[in-house]
Amino acid sequence: MSKRVFVHPEPKPGEPAPWRSLEERNKSPEFRTRAEREFLDGASSLDGVDRRGFLRLMGASFGLAGLGLAGCREPRHHTLPYARTPEMTIPGIPTFFATSFPGELAHQPVLVETHGRRPTKLEGNPSHPASGTASSKLAQASVLDLYDPDRATFSIGFDGASLSPARVREELLALGKSLEAVSGAGLAFLARPSASPTRRRLVAALKARFPQVVWVEHTPFDQAAGDRAVAPGSRLLPNFAAARRVLSLDADFLGSGDAQVEATRAYAAARRADTPEQAKAMVRLYVAESLFTLTGAAADHRLPLATAHIPALAAALLDEVRRQSGAPSGAPLPKLEVDPAWVRECAADLVAHRGKSLVVAGAHLPAAAHAIVHALNQELGAYGKTLDLVRTDADRPASLAALAAAKPSTLVILGGNPAFDAPADSGFAAAVASAKRVVRLGLHGPEFDETSALARSKGGLVVAAAHYLESWGDGRALDGTYVPVQPMIAPLYDGLSELEVLALLAGAGKDARDLVRETFDGIARATGKEPTQAAFDAWLAEGVLPGTAFPAEPVPAAADRPVAQPPAVSRASLEVRLVPSAHAGDGAYANNAWLLEQPDPMAKTCWENVVLVSPALAKELAIEPAPMLINELGALNRNINQLVDGKLTCHVVRVTLHGRAVEGPALILPGLARWTVGLQAGLGRRAVGRAGARVSERLNENRIVGAGFDAYPLAAAAAPEGAAGARIELTGRTAVVANTQSHWSMEGRDIIREGNAEEFAKNPRFAARLGLDGHVPLAYPPGTEQRMGPAALALTTPRGNSAYEHPDHGVPPNVPVWRDAGDKTPLPQQWGMSIDLSTCTGCNACVTACQAENNIPVVGRSQVLKGRDMRWIRLDRYFFDGRESAGMDIPENPQVTFQGMACQHCETAPCESVCPANATVHDEEGLNTMAYNRCIGTRYCANNCPYKVRRFNFLDYNDRQIGRLYEGPLGPKGMAEPLKLQKNPDVSVRMRGVMEKCTYCVQRIQEAKIQAKVRAGASDDTKVRDGALQVACQQACPAGAIEFGDISDPASRVSKAKASPRTYGALSYLNTRPRTTFLAKLRNPNPRMPGAALLPLSRAEMAGREGAHPAPAGAKGR
Amino acid sequence: MRRLLQFLNQPSRRGNPFPRWSNAAPAKVLVFLGLSGALLVAAINEYATNEYLNVGYTPDQPVAFDHGFHAGVLGIDCRYCHTNVEKSPHSNVPATGTCWNCHSVVKKDSPALAPVRDSIATGEPIRWVKVHKVPDYVYFPHSVHVSRGISCVECHGRVDQMEVVGQQKSLSMSFCLDCHRHPEKAIRPVDKVTDLAWKAPTPEAQLEQGRKFVHDWKVLPPQSCSGCHR
Repeated sequence: MSKRVFVHPEPKPGEPAPWRSLEERNKSPEFRTRAEREFLDGASSLDGVDRRGFLRLMGASFGLAGLGLAGCREPRHHTLPYARTPEMTIPGIPTFFATSFPGELAHQPVLVETHGRRPTKLEGNPSHPASGTASSKLAQASVLDLYDPDRATFSIGFDGASLSPARVREELLALGKSLEAVSGAGLAFLARPSASPTRRRLVAALKARFPQVVWVEHTPFDQAAGDRAVAPGSRLLPNFAAARRVLSLDADFLGSGDAQVEATRAYAAARRADTPEQAKAMVRLYVAESLFTLTGAAADHRLPLATAHIPALAAALLDEVRRQSGAPSGAPLPKLEVDPAWVRECAADLVAHRGKSLVVAGAHLPAAAHAIVHALNQELGAYGKTLDLVRTDADRPASLAALAAAKPSTLVILGGNPAFDAPADSGFAAAVASAKRVVRLGLHGPEFDETSALARSKGGLVVAAAHYLESWGDGRALDGTYVPVQPMIAPLYDGLSELEVLALLAGAGKDARDLVRETFDGIARATGKEPTQAAFDAWLAEGVLPGTAFPAEPVPAAADRPVAQPPAVSRASLEVRLVPSAHAGDGAYANNAWLLEQPDPMAKTCWENVVLVSPALAKELAIEPAPMLINELGALNRNINQLVDGKLTCHVVRVTLHGRAVEGPALILPGLARWTVGLQAGLGRRAVGRAGARVSERLNENRIVGAGFDAYPLAAAAAPEGAAGARIELTGRTAVVANTQSHWSMEGRDIIREGNAEEFAKNPRFAARLGLDGHVPLAYPPGTEQRMGPAALALTTPRGNSAYEHPDHGVPPNVPVWRDAGDKTPLPQQWGMSIDLSTCTGCNACVTACQAENNIPVVGRSQVLKGRDMRWIRLDRYFFDGRESAGMDIPENPQVTFQGMACQHCETAPCESVCPANATVHDEEGLNTMAYNRCIGTRYCANNCPYKVRRFNFLDYNDRQIGRLYEGPLGPKGMAEPLKLQKNPDVSVRMRGVMEKCTYCVQRIQEAKIQAKVRAGASDDTKVRDGALQVACQQACPAGAIEFGDISDPASRVSKAKASPRTYGALSYLNTRPRTTFLAKLRNPNPRMPGAALLPLSRAEMAGREGAHPAPAGAKGR
Repeated sequence: MRRLLQFLNQPSRRGNPFPRWSNAAPAKVLVFLGLSGALLVAAINEYATNEYLNVGYTPDQPVAFDHGFHAGVLGIDCRYCHTNVEKSPHSNVPATGTCWNCHSVVKKDSPALAPVRDSIATGEPIRWVKVHKVPDYVYFPHSVHVSRGISCVECHGRVDQMEVVGQQKSLSMSFCLDCHRHPEKAIRPVDKVTDLAWKAPTPEAQLEQGRKFVHDWKVLPPQSCSGCHR
């Protein structure tokens, strides 16, 4: 039987064939191939696995299924080497480039650590001696802004379409050409102040091309205002290291501003004292201020005084100084509610140290106050000794009022965010209203930036900006040293830098690098150097151009200006002070999660801002916390921590000034001037990216949630940083405020030890005898410890009366060769840390540096409210008021001490013996290590840690998005793509369910050891040399308060620091033998000052509690 | 009480409900469970190891690069291609440019070198398949090992005899620790590190000179978690 073959009839020519697609109709080759196959290519396979592969895989799976080992083979990994390796690239070794962190007043020279050309971390540039390896928290956090997932990724043209960078360039060139024809009529620029000489040159070029152009600079917090008041175009450079007496009039030189790192470094140098002689030469700090700043916290004598009254105080001091110098002025003084003794004795101390004393004033003070301070410094002989006046290249820019007056038709807004931060009466709105064309250069697009949104609403051109780590530029450090800004990475999103936009508009016809080169050539020639390519390369490599500091300027004569009677500041007419928020700066960092989650150094709040009110004002408002505890005397104590159900709960208040009101939760902060209200500006953005956005949280409905409130409505053009005449009232609502330290006191433990310089001179070892340490049985017979020396002490661990055992480091290691080597056994180096509480100012640089170095995740506001913040360093802030027990009142003017608390690496660690998985154990170098892969998350260790420094990954913070942490398998996984680029490849990214804590930067220790051994090669010189290794917090600390190194080497810097008589271990009476020790804080009060605490107030509290150390007379609260 | 015992002891009228074999059943069940458990443990011990799962992994590479020919027959030093092995934790896979140093002249048009030519022309990397891989939480530095007399051969085997490179050692944690506890068994003169064929004349000689090197160079390999896990 033959098989019947069915043959389709051929379609007859001319007969229309039905078709299902155009391809079929056209008989395209793709269609033919597709039609010839039953199944599409790959349709039958599992994502690229063919049938044979599938069977093989399944066979293997079944084979192993019984053992539960299906698919144990790891997936195929690939190695992708470069096609051609770029120069200076060694995969696995970070490359450091010098650049600088731009500020409005000054640039901060930094080195950038790059891994495969992606910047991961900043360090201070040691080539610039004024800042050394130190950096500020803002510089540390700025690297996260580069990877901000909400950055503008494309530019938007006038017609609303997205533009390629080439098209943006064309648009800008065309705009420049069209404006040149009318000589720039109606063209106005609004930019932030800048320290870039190249920008200054470009502005000059703009003015040459467009003679009618209006150039305006605006910043909400003008740091140069005080310098301008002394002499236009000049800068005051205080030399804190040479000063013995410093008076700060509302100047937060330790806490904020572009000069913070340099000032802290110099101040700490004058503050460090390890011998009685040094203690006598210690600097003494007087502070009069309205808010409680870090400078106030460091003060030896602090006077809370309304900012409005500071000029009057300055006038009184000047008068007193002149009177004591024998030249009374006799001019009438404004009335002042300050103890005359405070003025008299402070002035006497300053006069007694003529030539070594210094007065600094806050930039926000009126010009009259700066004139008085200038006269004061002249009277005290500060100029040339503790204070230098230098000539900068800055000129005074026009203000926002000039912008409105110019009625620009074309407005170019470069950087900043004036739509958010310009005062309502500043004329910015009028200028924008008059503009027909708006060009905006911003890091964020219209969705995430108020000014970009405004520009878009006017049909403007919105240009995506390049981050400073992606662009060419230059700048000047505080002292004028010329520093580069060079790109670490090609722009992630094709953004343009400010210099590029200006160059295009000015028709400079050069790119930013060539412009910087030109500027460099000019500056190098001016200093007498030949501007060769080699010199330029050396400048880029070194990061500083020596010999380019600003020249000194003759000190202008002091003109006596009468001081007007200050306005009355009272309950009815409060004073408002606007300060940049610790979390967002002036608003520029409002989408920076590291800063948002980082606690405010004083208020300890995070993710939001608060209205700071004084205890006296709280009493008037009747929002004082209710009495709740009965103390041992039977009296009721107030819940001064303002906690409700364990959460900081604040009353929401409305503050009204200039007829405008803002609402925010009121936090009672002791130490504020009675009738001054502190408002932290920069948060409460109306358009901001995912980190700074308001998150609606189910638990806190009907309460203020998210990233704070906008405080800028209270700024006025005439008084941008606050004024008197405000009212405050309760709204009747309350709000939960996220904070990381809800308690104020040491809860009865002596973990902070302080003494006065005078006491230290008499009894240097006071710190070791405080608290319970004297009652602890000795581990060795008396005197043995001194005889043994640090090396032997570090290497042996007497069990003493500790319940926790761990091995000695001095025994031969588990290598047969060394088992019988006796004395010849090489002993591992022993790591330890010393933290000087005397110089620590609480600036948070260490906390940020740690977060950047160690891939520490951000957890979000709701998790902080549950106490799940992850930062390894907890910068504790304690208030002391000298009373034995907390009473009914919140202290008015307490003393403050900061203490950085991270894992203490106890030699007899309580955490280790309770771990059922042996996940936390000691290594042979004295580190308390965490093996993340062993950890099963019992959290026993955290419960047994007396220092509370262990952090648990309750949720997958690295792999889940903030606000969507609880969605489980349904939620989106993976961190935002750009953020992955920031991670340090040398540190594990931890997953959910494991414990983590300070590792002493074990990756840096290992790297240093590896380098030492590679260097040693076939020799025995394997020790890591002192100074070759710095941990992240130590490197960043502007005060140099942290030392780290080998404590078994008596010559190492850390051993020398630990040899100070001020050394003590926190809670060492538990016999934990912590490797991190602290140096007791020294205060340097003037006994003649009114209210001088003859004993630090913390000691007065301890003495009262323990009874063993009676408090001397006079040790009362101020 | 006596009556209760009598009642309990009297034989059931319906006879014993349990058959005779049931006397041995509990013991049999226990033995079976015990054997199964032992088998399971033994199986995991044998099969769920790097030794079983990863040794012998010899994937095909995009370019059939013959290590045996280049390193063995031609005698090119390992460090000619793996340039950074003495400086970096990673022993880098060479850039295509390294291949091109010779192959722009030698066997320029060979079809086997097509991916190399493509990579040079386009700048796209060659997708080499990774053979030796330790987990992400292990930080293994090549530089310190080769600088201190640990040869490539200790972990990678005789690459100079492999036509296609495959994994020969287990690279498990115990593999690392064995050597860190007994470095004298592996350590060799530093100038012989890339000489894969080098061997001490006798095992005793190796031990003797190994002890000397460990002692003279103060070799103290880390054995704590922090040595490799950060």
